[in-house]
Amino acid sequence: MKNGAVMPINPKSTKDPDFKAILIFFLIALSLLITACDGDPSADPDRRAETETAKVAASPARRPRQTLPEGIVWQTNDTDPVFASPEAVRGGTLHEALLSFPLTFRTVGPDSNSSFRSAILDNQLGLVGIHPNTEKIIPELASHWAFDDDRRTMYFKLDKRARWSDGHPVTADDFAYTLDFMRSEHIVAPWYNDYYSREIERVIIYDDHTLAVVAARPVPDLHLRIAIAPTPEHFYGQLGDDFVMAYNWKIVPNTGAYQISDFEKGRRVRFKRKANWWAEDRRYFKHRFNVDTVVFTVVRDFNLMWEYFKKRRLDTFALNLPAYWHVKSKTDVIEKGYVERIWFFNDTQQSAQGLWLNLDREIFADRRVRYAFAHAMNIEKVIDQVLRGDFYRLEHGFMGYGDYSNPDIRARRFDLGKVEALMTDAGWQRGTDGIWARGDQRFAVEVTYSLEEHTARLVVLREEARKAGIELELRRLDATAAYKKVLEKKHDVAWMGWSTSLRPQYWEHFHSANAHKPQTNNITNTDDPQMDRLIDAYRNSLDAGQRAALSRQIQEKIHEIGAFVPTFMVPYVRQAYWRWWCLPDPAGTRHTGDLFDPFSSATGGLFWYDAERRTETEAAMKGDHGFGPVTRIDDTYKMPSLR
Amino acid sequence: MPRFQLNPLTRRKIRRFRSIRRGWWSLVIFTFMMVAALAAELWVNDRALVVRYQENFYFPTYGAPLPGTTFGLDYAYETDYRDLSRRFAAAGEGNWVLMPPVPYGPYSTDLRDDLFPPFAPDWHQRHFFGTDTVGRDVLARLVYGFRIAIFFSLGLLVVNYAIGVSLGCAMGYFGGRFDLFFQRLIEIWSNVPFLYVIIIISSIAVPNFWILVLIMAIFGWIGITWTMRTVTYKERERDYVLAARVLGASHGRIILRHILPNTVAVIVTYAPFSVSSGIVALTSLDYLGFGLPPPTPSWGELLAQGWTYMSAWWIVASVVGAMVVTLVAVTFIGEAVREALDPKLYTTYE
Repeated sequence: MKNGAVMPINPKSTKDPDFKAILIFFLIALSLLITACDGDPSADPDRRAETETAKVAASPARRPRQTLPEGIVWQTNDTDPVFASPEAVRGGTLHEALLSFPLTFRTVGPDSNSSFRSAILDNQLGLVGIHPNTEKIIPELASHWAFDDDRRTMYFKLDKRARWSDGHPVTADDFAYTLDFMRSEHIVAPWYNDYYSREIERVIIYDDHTLAVVAARPVPDLHLRIAIAPTPEHFYGQLGDDFVMAYNWKIVPNTGAYQISDFEKGRRVRFKRKANWWAEDRRYFKHRFNVDTVVFTVVRDFNLMWEYFKKRRLDTFALNLPAYWHVKSKTDVIEKGYVERIWFFNDTQQSAQGLWLNLDREIFADRRVRYAFAHAMNIEKVIDQVLRGDFYRLEHGFMGYGDYSNPDIRARRFDLGKVEALMTDAGWQRGTDGIWARGDQRFAVEVTYSLEEHTARLVVLREEARKAGIELELRRLDATAAYKKVLEKKHDVAWMGWSTSLRPQYWEHFHSANAHKPQTNNITNTDDPQMDRLIDAYRNSLDAGQRAALSRQIQEKIHEIGAFVPTFMVPYVRQAYWRWWCLPDPAGTRHTGDLFDPFSSATGGLFWYDAERRTETEAAMKGDHGFGPVTRIDDTYKMPSLR
Repeated sequence: MPRFQLNPLTRRKIRRFRSIRRGWWSLVIFTFMMVAALAAELWVNDRALVVRYQENFYFPTYGAPLPGTTFGLDYAYETDYRDLSRRFAAAGEGNWVLMPPVPYGPYSTDLRDDLFPPFAPDWHQRHFFGTDTVGRDVLARLVYGFRIAIFFSLGLLVVNYAIGVSLGCAMGYFGGRFDLFFQRLIEIWSNVPFLYVIIIISSIAVPNFWILVLIMAIFGWIGITWTMRTVTYKERERDYVLAARVLGASHGRIILRHILPNTVAVIVTYAPFSVSSGIVALTSLDYLGFGLPPPTPSWGELLAQGWTYMSAWWIVASVVGAMVVTLVAVTFIGEAVREALDPKLYTTYE
């Protein structure tokens, strides 16, 4: 979760001299203490980032050039609508918060998979991107592209002006080097080693600015698989055993709009916009990435972030949680309009959130019992009375995937009559305590979850399920422990959601190849021959229409098996921001997940800073007169089914 | 019929204790709280005390839940007595429901349309301390949370003292290598950061009441063991012990009949403070989310909610108030006990 970040914009010096004296004394004492304890890296003063010059590698042997095949039909896209605002102006600093400081700036290898990684990776452009509204291919580092008839090769013509942040031109060799890099055992990243060996066969270089990337086999949506990013060969050179340690805090040259300029370990990271970024006039990048500086400061507590935000030390704050939107927002800065709010509906892939039943548990072997369980979950009551009607019912696990989503499936609703009928039919009876029982079996199942904020929802579900004769035993575990327990299939019911991808992924979650064994994502242990056939067909098909049809069929099958009880979806973002931040109209794109994402090449950097409004606001705050609360609701991209 | 006679010394101690008003009244209040908590079902409950329905009386407080059909309602799950009370009153057929003064249980959520918890204290709704963020009555959760906390810390006390007193006595009495070995063991053991260990253990496996008591006892026996060892050492050298030994008393007899009764003062003095530290330990674990699994009513969980929802002052005020009252009462009792048992009572130093 991203929330605005930090640092006193105007460190207000206190007027009281006594207090100041005490403060200074305290600071001196503190600094003595720190010097005395030495050896603490976080106590180091701001260190200038060791940037690009860190290592100039010996220039690599030139890779062989091949002759470009005849008859390539180059394509580009300069006709799709732009989504940035021409009114945007440059300038300003955006302050964002991090819950914890990243353990490394590497994006591969041990400890690299932190939430901060996306801030680095988003500034590393790929060959082509996806238009966030039309989902068509748009240029990034490549200005033109072409598909080969073999359905596994794509040709690319690089933008000749593309530059690394250290001034080196981006060439075809950098893409060939990506394969060398990602396949190297020195990076200690088995997943990447494997992916770049098994999924991508090779990179063919025709000249410095023309190349082809070949996938290992024909795949649907080829461009999603092989639009790889370049890796600066001139920076890394020959990798060695010391890679993991040596590159922990190195700033790697990139091709995006921002680069890390300095950082203080444990405290903050500062990104600066490049002065003459090579892509700033390109059609889909124009008027974007407007702020000069982005500062991420570590604030280790979510409540504290909110307090920091109200004190102007952070610029934006996510208000997706109902408590923040409805209750905590009733605060001075918002009522007076110094901080504005926006409710922006998007139409993007929804996380499959819900209750995942473990079919290897004896109790869930009977489909009627699974259906009864689903009918005993009063999700609607939770939405209406706990979540203030702000969340929407997720009808099945794959909503928001366009054609790939089946609009006809409806999740099973709370219905005591149906529970009664199904359970009686399955041969169960209510025990003296009102809970269903059969023989010495009792319908009491353990629900494993990890987020404290979800307790309120589960408590209501539990009370309602009791009415239906089902006892839920809530088991909150630390996130890692919960994840481990579920992946080892030791749960009865897991309360969790999965991250999304551009197209639905079924094999991981529902194919029998992943059932009944630990450390796979098939946490329901779904093992159904018909499902396997559908999934295999879906994976092997190259035809978009056929794949979409199969996808809808698979979703029906998932519904029929009934091992997943979908709960909520949040098809929108809600954010608060200080009044001097401006957003275009519409405020985001179909796929925007954070209106103030500063870096994302697809949807980020649309906002800008208005210095005049800031002066005006600060004057108003000083004079203590308000502008009245502002809440903007933007439903341009609201899901059709919710209208 | 032989009258139960107290040792005159003990009687003097009790008199002395009663004369310390602060401690005495704390004990009265604390006992009252314990009794009230034990009988919580009778005054804080979402089950009715008495239901009069069609010439029959029902007492649903204890026992199996009565399904709604018992009272002519159309559902088979447990009767909602607050709702039943309203229905009976509206129907006016001579049926009635007597609800406890606080008609909410620790788990029952009181959700309303178009209004969202936490609700402020409301005399009319009988949410005397308001509700928490899920709509559960704060008072109900305080009372049931107190019951769990107090029995938790008493349970912990018993286990700790059982280990600590027996081991400490043995160390002090036998001395030598046995003592040396356990001394080193304790030194090592006491350097383990126990809160972290508990957090690690309970993040892997959610503990239930007794498991949590045992986990905490693993680290909790050290303090009293140390004290008992010292005290026993001192007593062992006293003449009466030597006399007993000369008379041929066994080790067991010496420890149980002679040494232990003479160390009781120490044990009793420590006990109240152990109770309060037990309550604090459970509350802090629950606050951090590593204590008893939700939705068990707990003070720590209320405290965590209070911090998240500062604007709902009644949550944090209730739980902080309750903690202050309890801990102060226990501490006062402890101080009074210590003073009452102090053998130097009449000693004056000029």
